[in-house]
Amino acid sequence: MRDVYIVGTGEHPWGKFTDRNFVQVGEVAVAEALKDSGARWSEIQAIMSGILIYGGNAGHLSGQYIEGMFGETGIPVVNVYNACATGSAALRMAYNSIASGETDTAMAVGVDMMPKGFLTAKSDDPKQDRDVLRWRMTGMPNPVYWALECRKRFEKYGDTPEDLADIKVLLSQFGAKNPNARYKKEYTREEVLNSKMVCDPLRLYEICAVSDGAAVVILSADPKKIQAANKPVKIAATTMGSAMYGDPTIRISALSAPAKAEAPMLSESYSASRQAYEKSGIGPEDVDVLELPDNSSWHYLQYLETCGFCGEGEAHKMLREGQTQMGGKVVVNPSGGFSSFGEAIGAQAIWQVVEAADQLRGRAGERQVPDCKVAMAQTYGLMGNSGTTILTV
Amino acid sequence: MEVMDTMEGKIPRLPELFSWTDEGVRIRSAKCHDCGTYFFPEYHAQHRPDCPRENVEKVLLSNKGKLNTYTIQHFMCPPPFKTDGDIAPYGLGLVEFPEGICVAGLIVETDLDALSLGQEMETIDYVMYKDEDGNDVATWAFRAVK
Ligand SMILES: [Zn+2]
Repeated sequence: MRDVYIVGTGEHPWGKFTDRNFVQVGEVAVAEALKDSGARWSEIQAIMSGILIYGGNAGHLSGQYIEGMFGETGIPVVNVYNACATGSAALRMAYNSIASGETDTAMAVGVDMMPKGFLTAKSDDPKQDRDVLRWRMTGMPNPVYWALECRKRFEKYGDTPEDLADIKVLLSQFGAKNPNARYKKEYTREEVLNSKMVCDPLRLYEICAVSDGAAVVILSADPKKIQAANKPVKIAATTMGSAMYGDPTIRISALSAPAKAEAPMLSESYSASRQAYEKSGIGPEDVDVLELPDNSSWHYLQYLETCGFCGEGEAHKMLREGQTQMGGKVVVNPSGGFSSFGEAIGAQAIWQVVEAADQLRGRAGERQVPDCKVAMAQTYGLMGNSGTTILTV
Repeated sequence: MEVMDTMEGKIPRLPELFSWTDEGVRIRSAKCHDCGTYFFPEYHAQHRPDCPRENVEKVLLSNKGKLNTYTIQHFMCPPPFKTDGDIAPYGLGLVEFPEGICVAGLIVETDLDALSLGQEMETIDYVMYKDEDGNDVATWAFRAVK
């Protein structure tokens, strides 16, 4: 396996765009990544593209539609879906294609246009699709799952409503300074605590919205491309994990969980992160910037522990001591997180990598973490899907 | 023990998830005697790695368990969830059964402000709506044991 670098990145700003289709949103990000890398479209030797599950036939063949926009060249175009870790899967395939020597330059694309409001069942057959059960029998939208776990943390570790609110406050301060963010308002603790209770103990502002957006990375092992790139970023590891038997987490779409834990919580994310630490020789103590999946304030706390940035039950201590802020032990989500962007299933994992790369390339403006050398992007996907990417300069 | 798929005009919204018995409402599960795992729903197997998967038996979970965790949902869940009228705020919980599996469900007929982790819960039915044929369409639910 040879070293692989990010030589170009692109983003379409995140929001809700009813006046354009996903190819037009993706086009902006792809064009930006091409320009950033200096590569021509015809030099891309493989495209790994995230599937938009709500996008019908076109969404399931997103890579072909994107390819058509820029000109079909006959290269391998593979479409992949791994829930919110979809972009991690696309990135990992692009990386492996280059690291193995099959290609020299490849692209990972994530575009998504999300339906309005809650995401609900995508089929009507409970025997095939267990997800149908929770919508018909128990009325459990996704945030309920996070609230159930969050309640346990309150009881077990003493996390408080103020901790959950303070996370939103921190993220909103970063988001306000990120030009691509959808939400740019800075919140106070009181405003967050006064927002509507959605599912106790999670409030409206402590849960991310769903958005439209796109992100693209161009990877290469071609020495000329790396040399020509404007601050290339090395991929120290990009891994994926699935869940492990005996994981006690109540997983979105499931209606049961083992009573006795025989594996870590969020075992798919535990697995992905530990694989990445092992492959890269880099540990949490080395990471300057962490982009974690803040689908809710619960995730922020839980992921610090799941990824080993502190011990079990210690995340609120890190938060309260300012260890996750500028100047702290690890700066968490200086992008503003999903809290400021919203999630766009097929795009968000690549977006996290683009934001992490921006910090390493000194492009983060007012949010720039000084002397940033190591950045990590961690995803969380429904039904046991996770990816970890560690980047260095 | 008598096990029934319907009960006095009540029918389950989806089959094979719970049964009415003369010992209360019981969640339907399946146990793998090879790896010791209980499944819910019974048709969604999740074996231990390398399990031979040869001896799986349909079982009914106990009628009572302990509250593992809960939340109060303050907005009505969108369709296909369906009840006669808006029931929000409503309780949702995970109940740990002695067999070693936690199952999620609505919490009804219970003071939601008085819930506490570890308290004893029992499985009951909950009528969500009346269908066109006049049947009471039900799901399983949990209630605090007094
Ligand atoms: Zn088994």
